[in-house]
Amino acid sequence: MEGDNHQDGEAEGVQISDHSSESDPAADTLLGNHLLPDLAAKSDSSTANRNQTTKLHLSDVTTEEPGQNEELCSQLEAKLETDEAKVSGSRNDVSAHPADGGAEGNAVDNDQSDSGEFVVTMLAKAKLEEQGIGVKGRSSPLSEAGVEESPSFKSHRDEDVTADSWRQHRKHIFVLSEAGKPIYSRYGSEEALSSTMGVMMALVSFVQSGDNVIHSVYSEEHTVVFLQKGPLVLVCVSSSRQSEQQLRGELLYVYYQIISMLTQASISRIFEHKKNYDLRRLLAGSEKILDGLLNLVDSDPSFLLAAVHCLPLASSLRDSLSQILQKAITPNLVFSILIAKNQLLTIVQEKTVIEDSRLEPADVHLLLNLIGASSAFQAGEIWTPICLPLFNPDCYFYAYISYLDPPECTVCLLLLSTDKEAFYAVAECKRKIEEAMAAQNSLSLIAKAQLYSVSQVGVSDLRHFMYKPFDVPDNYRQLTQFTSPEMEAPYSSEEEKMRLLDLYRYMHSRIHSTSRPLKLIYHVAERETLLAWVTSKFELYTCFSPLVTKTCAITAITKLLRWIKKEEDRLFIRYPPKYSTTPNPSKSSKSSKSEQQDSTDNGYLSLL
Amino acid sequence: MKKPDVKVVLLGDMNVGKTSLLHRYMERKFKDTVSTVGGAFYLKQWGPYNISIWDTAGREQFHGLGSMYCRGAAAIILTYDVTSWQSLGELEERFLSLTDTANHDCIYALVGNKVDLTDAKAQLSQDSDGLSEDRSTAAAGDEEERTELQAAPASPVSLSGSVLRKQVTLEDAVALYGRIMRYKGLDETSKLPADKMCFETSAKTGYNVDALFETLFDLVLPSILRKRNEDKESPTVDLEEVGNKRSRSSCC
Ligand SMILES: Nc1nc2c(ncn2[C@@H]2O[C@H](COP(=O)(O)OP(=O)(O)OP(=O)(O)O)[C@@H](O)[C@H]2O)c(=O)[nH]1
Ligand SMILES: [Mg+2]
Repeated sequence: MEGDNHQDGEAEGVQISDHSSESDPAADTLLGNHLLPDLAAKSDSSTANRNQTTKLHLSDVTTEEPGQNEELCSQLEAKLETDEAKVSGSRNDVSAHPADGGAEGNAVDNDQSDSGEFVVTMLAKAKLEEQGIGVKGRSSPLSEAGVEESPSFKSHRDEDVTADSWRQHRKHIFVLSEAGKPIYSRYGSEEALSSTMGVMMALVSFVQSGDNVIHSVYSEEHTVVFLQKGPLVLVCVSSSRQSEQQLRGELLYVYYQIISMLTQASISRIFEHKKNYDLRRLLAGSEKILDGLLNLVDSDPSFLLAAVHCLPLASSLRDSLSQILQKAITPNLVFSILIAKNQLLTIVQEKTVIEDSRLEPADVHLLLNLIGASSAFQAGEIWTPICLPLFNPDCYFYAYISYLDPPECTVCLLLLSTDKEAFYAVAECKRKIEEAMAAQNSLSLIAKAQLYSVSQVGVSDLRHFMYKPFDVPDNYRQLTQFTSPEMEAPYSSEEEKMRLLDLYRYMHSRIHSTSRPLKLIYHVAERETLLAWVTSKFELYTCFSPLVTKTCAITAITKLLRWIKKEEDRLFIRYPPKYSTTPNPSKSSKSSKSEQQDSTDNGYLSLL
Repeated sequence: MKKPDVKVVLLGDMNVGKTSLLHRYMERKFKDTVSTVGGAFYLKQWGPYNISIWDTAGREQFHGLGSMYCRGAAAIILTYDVTSWQSLGELEERFLSLTDTANHDCIYALVGNKVDLTDAKAQLSQDSDGLSEDRSTAAAGDEEERTELQAAPASPVSLSGSVLRKQVTLEDAVALYGRIMRYKGLDETSKLPADKMCFETSAKTGYNVDALFETLFDLVLPSILRKRNEDKESPTVDLEEVGNKRSRSSCC
């Protein structure tokens, strides 16, 4: 089993590792630029609706012009072959990472050629890097993933940081202050790790002293990524084989989660006053929120795709829920969000506040994580300040969180207000919503909603997919969403789920590579075949059984896109309504000074 | 909608067991908790009355919200952990000032939780439902408990084998209660006696939990009746506004 994993991993790595030796720009623009205009032209003449998206054109061609489609397929295949040939042409995956590392190293230090070595030595001293991990570390990230998934979060804090098991965690995350004070560690207590964190900070400032910024350090087993945000330094030590870009994205989520609890303004203010302030004083008790976030980041592709996933729901039901939310309003209410089974049902927002900015997926992810990490029993109603860092990193919203179906607690209402004192008014909105939902029997209808099975698409070799449409005029300025079926056999075990996610992460890193982004990747792994495709309209990741042929895969994608188009109203939140709750719009507008001051004055000043 | 008649607030450092206490009382269970964010609002039916209970977060992060939760409160439960001297100190340093926004006639209870860790008496899992049958009996039993404890405070009999050192004795709590009363400017005649308002509880076993909440609820009844009268005079006023009014009048 392990050997198998190992082999598979290697095979996949070698296969699509390095194109850079013979870069061919034409291959990069495969479908996006070259093929699609043709397609669009063809189908425009055959389809009445000119406003349909590319995906529809593709499907139209398939159904209506079989001859054309064949041509398309062979064209596509030819392109794919080119891609693949080039892929297998250079087989140097193993050196790929160290090579990348070298490149990064150059960015870090232009003239200090020994600093790379220094970095590694320092890390070795800090017990972060260890060649001796050997067999286990090398075998496969998946076996470790399995270990990590075990829900014994509690013990993580008390872990022995000198033990091998501590080093073998797939992904360590550390947060420290510029003064080198530990703030958070995913595994093991911050105290036990304070010397390690000190070394990390020494590293950061060593490089800084040469007017450079340290980004990352590569070794055979680990990627170390640094992110400095204001007075905070975040470090990730990962053996997950994710790209630096992805790891940095994850560190950014950690940073945002901290901001969501404290706001950027108060963190800066605190450290301006006292450089070596122990931020754990303020974050004490929030470790579980950060732990929960990191577990989600590892297991939920929403974070990778920077998009939200909503629960599939008949559009009539979703609309009626939206209308219920739209009617239950009170001054200064800005967002009303309904969640079931940890997924969005609907979201309604205030008109004025969001006029020129929309709710970012990352902010929604942080909200969902907060809900997951805060428990309410029975009919408890939570009222808590929360900052949405992408919306405005310096101001607080006040979140009202309540479950509508105690004691099951699967349907959750989240109401955000800009008014700290509005609890009772906002709670009153909940009663209205509750009443309206009872009248329409909404809860039992919601209870029936569930993720869909990929079998509904009706393509036999398709095992799973993730589809993320981009801003098209239709959903311009709306929340970025994606849709994905349930992970079913053979991806039902935690390990297999993680393995598929790792494959997706790999495909994603190829698509979004900064040095050489690709538009289309056809990737034959040992136990499955994957196809990732990005166009100006969407980003799509598909997973097929290993026996699928390219022709089949392409036909399947055509069918899939057609199916998604047909089901669009059910799979996505389509036209979220808005309401108006600001008697004095400037009061809660994003840039309002008074609001910021009022809401950041949350007691922190008194601490200084 | 059920309108809350009166407000009770739980204050205290993080991890002292506020959420666990409320959970024990409301759901008659002790289960794993996560550190509270902000505050959580609960409604408890008490006879014909609706009592709102705010379970607040003890984390320093949410300190600024405390005075808002306390606004217009009729009773405040100041909670500490009997195994942590610091948690008692925090009450005086950090939480007492938050109570300035409470009603002028607010009732204060001082509660030392986790006494199951230090006192054999509290280790026996209690059928709390039985206890709640008759409050006066429970209160009487409580009194008895205390005298016994005072007789041999430092040597709790070990039942489970894991007995922690008790860092805060009931005398310490009584002394703090006295200081709180002085801070509030209440003299000997108008304040409730310390031995009635200092509790030792265990959310884990249920020890003394019902007695705590039910004693308090009984004590806030006059407050409820007065508020109901006020509401009759001006029926459109909601709780929040009443709270504002009161806190303003009390600080002048
Ligand atoms: N032995 C024992 N443990 C308790 C008792 N009450 C609470 N605990 C434990 O103490 C920890 C904290 O309990 P919480 O109820 O969450 O504490 P809290 O005061 O609500 O904390 P914050 O919400 O962070 O302010 C949990 O691990 C509980 O299991 C008790 O009576 N005895
Ligand atoms: Mg709590």
